[in-house]
Amino acid sequence: MLAKRNCTNEELISRYTDQPSEMPRGLRDKIEKQWNNGPVQLYAMADLNASLKLTHTWIALGSEHISIVSDSGRDNGEIKNIELSQIQTVQETPCLSCTNLTLFGEPDEPPLAVLHYTHRQRRAMENIKFIIEQRIKGHTVGFDKEAKEAYSDAMTQPIKEAQASVAANKMAVVWRLMGYLTPYRKRLSFGLVAAAIMTLVSLLPAYLTGYVIDKVIKPFQNGKIDYEAAMYTAWVIIGALALTYILRVFCMWIRLHKMSVLGELVAGDLRRDIYEHLQRLSLSFFSKKQTGSLISRVSSDSDRLWEFIAFGVVEVSLSVIMLLGLGTVLMTMDWQLGLILTLPIPLFLWTVFAHGSRMQRLFISAWRKWSDMTAVLSDTIPGMRVVKAFNQEDREKERFDGRNMSCVAHFNHIHDVWTKFWPILLMGIHIITLSVWAFALPRVFGQGTSLSVGTFVTFLLYMGMYLQPIETIGLMARMMNRATSSAHRIFEVLDTEPEIVDRIEPVRLEPLQGRVTFENVTFAYDGIRQIIRGISFNVMPGEMIGLVGPSGAGKTTITNLIARFYDVTGGKILIDGVNIHNLDTGHFRRQVGMVLQDPYLFHGTILENILYGQPDAGMERVIEAAKTANAHDFILKLPHGYETIIGERGHTLSGGERQRVSIARAVLCNPRILILDEATSSVDTETERNIQQALDRLIAGRTVFAIAHRLSTLRNATRLIVIEDGRITEEGTHSELLSNPDGTYTKLQKMQQELHEAYAV
Amino acid sequence: MTESLKIEWRSDGKLWLSNNGKATAVQITKCFPWSEPDRYISLRDSDEKEVALINNLNDLEQESREAIEKALAEAGFVLEITQIESLKEDFEVRTWEARTAQGKRKFQTKLDDWPQALPGGGLLIRDVAGDLFLIDDPDKLDEISRKLLWAFVA
Repeated sequence: MLAKRNCTNEELISRYTDQPSEMPRGLRDKIEKQWNNGPVQLYAMADLNASLKLTHTWIALGSEHISIVSDSGRDNGEIKNIELSQIQTVQETPCLSCTNLTLFGEPDEPPLAVLHYTHRQRRAMENIKFIIEQRIKGHTVGFDKEAKEAYSDAMTQPIKEAQASVAANKMAVVWRLMGYLTPYRKRLSFGLVAAAIMTLVSLLPAYLTGYVIDKVIKPFQNGKIDYEAAMYTAWVIIGALALTYILRVFCMWIRLHKMSVLGELVAGDLRRDIYEHLQRLSLSFFSKKQTGSLISRVSSDSDRLWEFIAFGVVEVSLSVIMLLGLGTVLMTMDWQLGLILTLPIPLFLWTVFAHGSRMQRLFISAWRKWSDMTAVLSDTIPGMRVVKAFNQEDREKERFDGRNMSCVAHFNHIHDVWTKFWPILLMGIHIITLSVWAFALPRVFGQGTSLSVGTFVTFLLYMGMYLQPIETIGLMARMMNRATSSAHRIFEVLDTEPEIVDRIEPVRLEPLQGRVTFENVTFAYDGIRQIIRGISFNVMPGEMIGLVGPSGAGKTTITNLIARFYDVTGGKILIDGVNIHNLDTGHFRRQVGMVLQDPYLFHGTILENILYGQPDAGMERVIEAAKTANAHDFILKLPHGYETIIGERGHTLSGGERQRVSIARAVLCNPRILILDEATSSVDTETERNIQQALDRLIAGRTVFAIAHRLSTLRNATRLIVIEDGRITEEGTHSELLSNPDGTYTKLQKMQQELHEAYAV
Repeated sequence: MTESLKIEWRSDGKLWLSNNGKATAVQITKCFPWSEPDRYISLRDSDEKEVALINNLNDLEQESREAIEKALAEAGFVLEITQIESLKEDFEVRTWEARTAQGKRKFQTKLDDWPQALPGGGLLIRDVAGDLFLIDDPDKLDEISRKLLWAFVA
């Protein structure tokens, strides 16, 4: 299990960039000394100097200072200290491939510092900029990460997004993959032994042919043995040949069957492991990866590995066995002819390998041209209305033709290359054959060391068996590449640890009352930029809380924290007085219902969708839930009632209908805590009323957190909490909040009223 | 109209635009960074609002033009590749080691990300961090670089 670990950030930085993986310790000590031992809280690198040449300038941020060490790299650079209290504004100027960050002091004075850096440093520098800006605004900022960790996280994020953090080299991945074969050792040994026997046995017929010629045919023609003796030996040999063939066919079956089944079992194990693991992973993992890439890991990557295990591994080992066997047999039969045949093998292998690399380069180019061409298709076909409206059919035709012809030309070039290569290789082998003839025939006729006709014929037959193993071994590099990238993608998922893990003995709240308490909660998705900054509230069971505020204020994040999709970075959340960390997450989440803006329904019947959280609920309860959700009547209008199959993501239903099915699903679970996130936006007024009615029935007796853009939908809320920039700015009932004429809530309310009146006219 | 505009760098480190006695600190944005890098320059204030659009730098006075050229060099900054030392495939990414006019740089592109062909015949490569690398004229590179680059150009 060599590769079962993630590369550390430091390893990734030194592998993929040419900059230090951390600030030199000596430099850090020196800076901290100058700050009277105040710690470096964050650091980053500005990698461009004033004339925009690449350099290493370290920037360190402390609680009182920011230090700039120009062109350091080592720890003897000159340190420029700026007191944070001097900085009055920070200006970021984005350029094409760099950013300028200017720190200004007094107006009209020259800037305190101008830093230039490429996009690679942007994340780390933005962290520093964020903290400085917070300080200017007078906020104190807590740190959830050590400076080195924050820097290396920021530096490695792009590469982690593009690939993965596992496995330092390809061999390690292959070994790890081989680990999956261990449970099937017996099957594997059977397969391999059968394959080896099959290969070695296939050397026999040629040998027997030579033997028949030398020991039977020739002596018989020379009259040295009589017909009976000749036929006796002949029958023995025919018998031996028959046995050989039977053994070969039997071994072939064993090999094909055992290895295919083995490949399927291993691919199945991988698929099971990866899917199981996906279910355990926290939501943050899914927000980082594209759905398509995860799906292909479970399906096509595991399929590719099946091919590799079932055939690749065996083919390659067999080819090696074959070449070694051939070499040994030939050298023992006649070392001079043996040398003629075996010496060129490395040369042939190298040629095939080189050809493979050349083809790979050609294919990269072909792949590029192909995607150029298909890009036109995926671009214009969905946009056909626009093409026609602007009468651009001819231009689009030309654009496609150009790229299509370029593809054809390139593929024809590829065909040129490979169609020439294999005949040339064959010619090489023919030249060897001719050499064997030229060298052997004089010896057969008695010149030099004598050579029997039988040995000669055997050699000729063996030569025919040469090409195939050479070809297989030459193509191994490509096959290995494909298989290791697939394995790598799968192991990446398997090696990601879920961020939310239950305690050893988690608490189950039975029954859950539904009291939710936030105590000075802070949260940052990336550990630095806080989305929630010190929020505290206490919500009693059965209360309905409206969360109000501009978009990006952190409302949805609060609900994600309540459902424990993420863990808080500071402070704590208590449910019925128990820290949410100590709860059994699965048990707790079953008691939290969510109705989101764009409800997600699964492919299947409406019944299955409503039953999703409570598979064993009876039909009466389903109908009751659907009635509560105002869904019963529209469901009965569908051709198969509750058993109507709704397409993928429920696309055959309208937005409002999907929403009501999702409400029925939530009703059936009877959650104690309910989260409504913009449940009624994006539907028309009539539908909204239907949904609102359903929601009003749903919220009775539960703790509810509702986020709504339209404030009118929150009229039933017991309390409203206004969130701005991650903080609570106002709290109270609808009328309490409206009594403050300068309050945010009052402003929002006025704005919506004006908008409503303007459109109502 | 543009003759009356005055553009200068002041001691506060900002680029200032004076127009009919009104001065604004501005940042610049190129409308067409690849086709017309030195024309159609938008001057924008701190709220990202356009204060002036300069169609042609030649319409400006000498001093203003020099001031804006300095800003243009920064705004249009890309790393200019002069030599490709190695190009290797790794899991999901290609690692490039290149010499640029700005210094040596090792960077990665995704396997299915291709260099963008620019109007003037140049190539623009975007790495995983979003940095841009320009090959002004691929034909002028040395033979090894051209060979490494071949699959992306041919």
